[in-house]
Amino acid sequence: MANTKIKTNKANPFPIVQKTNSIQQIRYVCSIAAMHSASAIPGVIPITHCGPGCADKQFMNVAFYNGFQGGGYGGGAVVPSTNATEKEVVFGGAERLRQLIDASLKVLDADLFVVLTGCISDLVGDDVGSVVSEFQQQGVPIVFAETGGFKGNNFIGHEMVTRAIIDQFVGDYSGPKEKGVVNVWSLLPYHNTFWRGDLREIKRILEGAGLKVNILFGHDSQGVSEWRNIPTAQFNLVLSPWLGLQTAQHLEEKYGQPYLHIPVIPIGAKETSAFLRKVVEFSGIDKAHAESFIAQEETSYYHYLEDFSDFYAEYWWGLPAQFAVVGDSAYNLALTKFLVNQLGIIPGKQIITENPPEEYREAIREQYRNIADDVSTDVEFEEDSYLIHQSIRQTKFGHKAPIIFGTTWERDLAKELKGAIVEVGFPASYEVVISRGYVGYRGALTLLEKIYTTTVGASA
Amino acid sequence: MAINLNTAVVESREQRLGTIIAWDGAAVDLSKESAYARGNCEAGCGGRRLCELSGPFTQGSVCSEQMVECQAGNVREAVLIQHSPIGCGAGQVIYNSIYRNGLAMRKLPVENLHLISTNLQEQDMIFGGVEKLEQSIRDAWERHRPKAIFIATSCATGIIGDDVESVAKKVEQEIGIPVVPLHSEGFKSKHWSTGFDATQHGIMRQIVRKKPKKKQEDLVNVIALWGTDVFTPMLKELGLRVNYVVDLATVGELEQLSEAAATVGFCYTLASYLAAGLEQEFGVPEVKAPQPYGFAGTDAWIRELARITHREEQAEAYIAKEHARIAPRLAELREKLKGIKGYVATGSAYAHGLIGVLRELGVEVNGSLVFHHDPIYDSHDPRQDSLAHLIDHYGDVSSFTVSNRQQYQFYGLLQRVNPDFIIIRHNGLAPLASRLGIPAAPLGDEHHALGYQGILNLGETILEILAHKKFHQDLAAHVKLPYKKEWLDLKDPFALVKPENTLDTERA
Repeated sequence: MANTKIKTNKANPFPIVQKTNSIQQIRYVCSIAAMHSASAIPGVIPITHCGPGCADKQFMNVAFYNGFQGGGYGGGAVVPSTNATEKEVVFGGAERLRQLIDASLKVLDADLFVVLTGCISDLVGDDVGSVVSEFQQQGVPIVFAETGGFKGNNFIGHEMVTRAIIDQFVGDYSGPKEKGVVNVWSLLPYHNTFWRGDLREIKRILEGAGLKVNILFGHDSQGVSEWRNIPTAQFNLVLSPWLGLQTAQHLEEKYGQPYLHIPVIPIGAKETSAFLRKVVEFSGIDKAHAESFIAQEETSYYHYLEDFSDFYAEYWWGLPAQFAVVGDSAYNLALTKFLVNQLGIIPGKQIITENPPEEYREAIREQYRNIADDVSTDVEFEEDSYLIHQSIRQTKFGHKAPIIFGTTWERDLAKELKGAIVEVGFPASYEVVISRGYVGYRGALTLLEKIYTTTVGASA
Repeated sequence: MAINLNTAVVESREQRLGTIIAWDGAAVDLSKESAYARGNCEAGCGGRRLCELSGPFTQGSVCSEQMVECQAGNVREAVLIQHSPIGCGAGQVIYNSIYRNGLAMRKLPVENLHLISTNLQEQDMIFGGVEKLEQSIRDAWERHRPKAIFIATSCATGIIGDDVESVAKKVEQEIGIPVVPLHSEGFKSKHWSTGFDATQHGIMRQIVRKKPKKKQEDLVNVIALWGTDVFTPMLKELGLRVNYVVDLATVGELEQLSEAAATVGFCYTLASYLAAGLEQEFGVPEVKAPQPYGFAGTDAWIRELARITHREEQAEAYIAKEHARIAPRLAELREKLKGIKGYVATGSAYAHGLIGVLRELGVEVNGSLVFHHDPIYDSHDPRQDSLAHLIDHYGDVSSFTVSNRQQYQFYGLLQRVNPDFIIIRHNGLAPLASRLGIPAAPLGDEHHALGYQGILNLGETILEILAHKKFHQDLAAHVKLPYKKEWLDLKDPFALVKPENTLDTERA
């Protein structure tokens, strides 16, 4: 069985190759996977107009073999689907979609349906807009987004769905805004394995600081009623390096709502307190109230950190000194910031994998250049795991094996480098995630537990 | 209809076998209407076709391309290129996890699978994607020096009409290894099992050694997925060796398919095409017997394998030994499972086998859902009529439903028979059962219930699963289903198919 690895070039078993169109071991999927952005809103059910395998593929990979997150109320592999056949390809699928929507209204109980199209519909040119508008005119809560797989990845699809709901369901508004209310646009639901726990913590700390929060996705969202309240919020918070910016800019135009962009999702007390102060400053709410919350949270955080410090200071058997992060920009940046500033681990290699639009990349690079007052690092953008792994292999991590914050794709690489692996992003097929989160005050402590249970657990 | 390896594109299941994906009735009636019993359809469907129900509401199914991924994508020393936009590549995640766990179960070195997406974009839909395909084939070769490269086509490349064949031929001549296009556009077949056939078609056309120099008279092809190695110890008793294909096989193991003494499988849904093709094209006899489940099936299966490979004496000794060995524990299990009701919701032929095993265990089975039904398999041999075998040996299944993973129908089906547990393999149905308080036994290891030991294995698993009932019942008391009460109250899972139903009046 020695020759099961497919490599014959003994001198260089992993030849250096140039970047091409190929993507080996995918790290994002296509825009129809934004069916998860629909089902992530309580009470919302997606209707997919696509081939027979699309819904299953997106669910089983983005939401099942990625933390085994589950489909919840409106999601799963069995969301309504036209399961297009040759007939819909040859004659068009508009009639079939009309039939499916009509039947879905009889069978399923949803506050809002979101129709998403796949490659077939977008290629044969089904007029989905007019089919859906027939139902909208009858007062059916339903919107559509054309999310054919070739149109972009699931990050792009997420903003398409978000915009569809805002424009086709929430609608126009020109009334007053409510001070202290914020709409939060942050992690990509389900693709980010820990989004549920993270959004819960983000909501908790913003509320603690005195804001009223429309978190919009996840169990702590109020569902469509919360979405209807989007226009009355004082402002939008984009908490991610770039995802959500388009939505926020659209809302600015549509409702005259300002937005605050904070690229670093905060992990740990230092970053989280700074984050809250920025938001409080922007919104102009009572600072004293926010400060008392921050003080209370920090007291608790540092009690736990003090407990942890005994281990961190005097554990005998060595801990990782350098790290690599492979993942989408939101977690990549957040983790790098925390690992460098809270733990003092040395950044070895950071690779961003979700193919952020070109116009956002320089700003992201700038974040890494200023990762700490006294630490500057750089970041690569790459989607093809073959090239990603080559890049990590060629990195000098010093005298000791690195700890890799990555995905299932890095499990073998970590073994090869004799390092540790913490699966923090899609796909995380060897993690079971329910409500765990890694951000904010509380998430940071969970993350510390995860990191050091991994390293200590592998020691003997 | 004979298997035709001259065309690049496999004929779909519905063309070859008359496969259907929706039907509801008693198993005896389905068996009677199927081709093995007689050659026409009473309701006037014409020819040998079965009547098929078709309704307006459908939930996400599975596509042929996924089955290509899970077979060709799990061949060791090979690379599978997904010629598609990036979304089809999503499947790399699940089949990687299954590949890794499968390798571990077979005690093979664990590694990531080798799948490459050509990552087609909007402009490729206009100008074509063949250049990117050629590049990805070259990338596969440069990166891994594989022994074979498979190509899976997608809905998008099927619609834009990329000439995959020409690119494959061109690069194949250049690099000197098989470059095998597998035509697996999801829209081309109503049932995903066509994807099994597409993979097997390509393997027979381009990988299997055409003129084998030697015959290996003790080698048996076992068409399997990732299941634990239960065939080696079993076949060892007959002095036979196992050649597992397609999943987890090396390219060399696929090449030698034509050298084997016989071909068997754990499920005719999966094995039908390859086994029949190997017999037709390479003279490797297919074991034509019931599937190896329960006493009757396993006895007959072993005897037929022994007859073909001339090992009758060893077979009788093994059969006798195994009957005696499992008898005491089986008696205990039957005692413990008395009065328990089960429901089988799996792939078609596999379900026929599992229901038999449950009835061996004394479990009552009044209902089953299969994802599709093949009225006949590719061999056309009545000895392979797995549904008739079930009925003849274990009796009818009164609520027998063909439903292509349509969870909305599953609710009503469960109400009909109120099972204590369900058996599943594919995802999508157990989550509903769970929310109704019914535990599921997911047979991830598809060999679990196979052979004599399989009877005991399944019994033990059911006992474990029944204990889970606590979890599911607690959950059921606290969740709301996404289905409307009006729908759930109807109870008839096929109400929407019928011209008149009360739901129609709801929205005027």
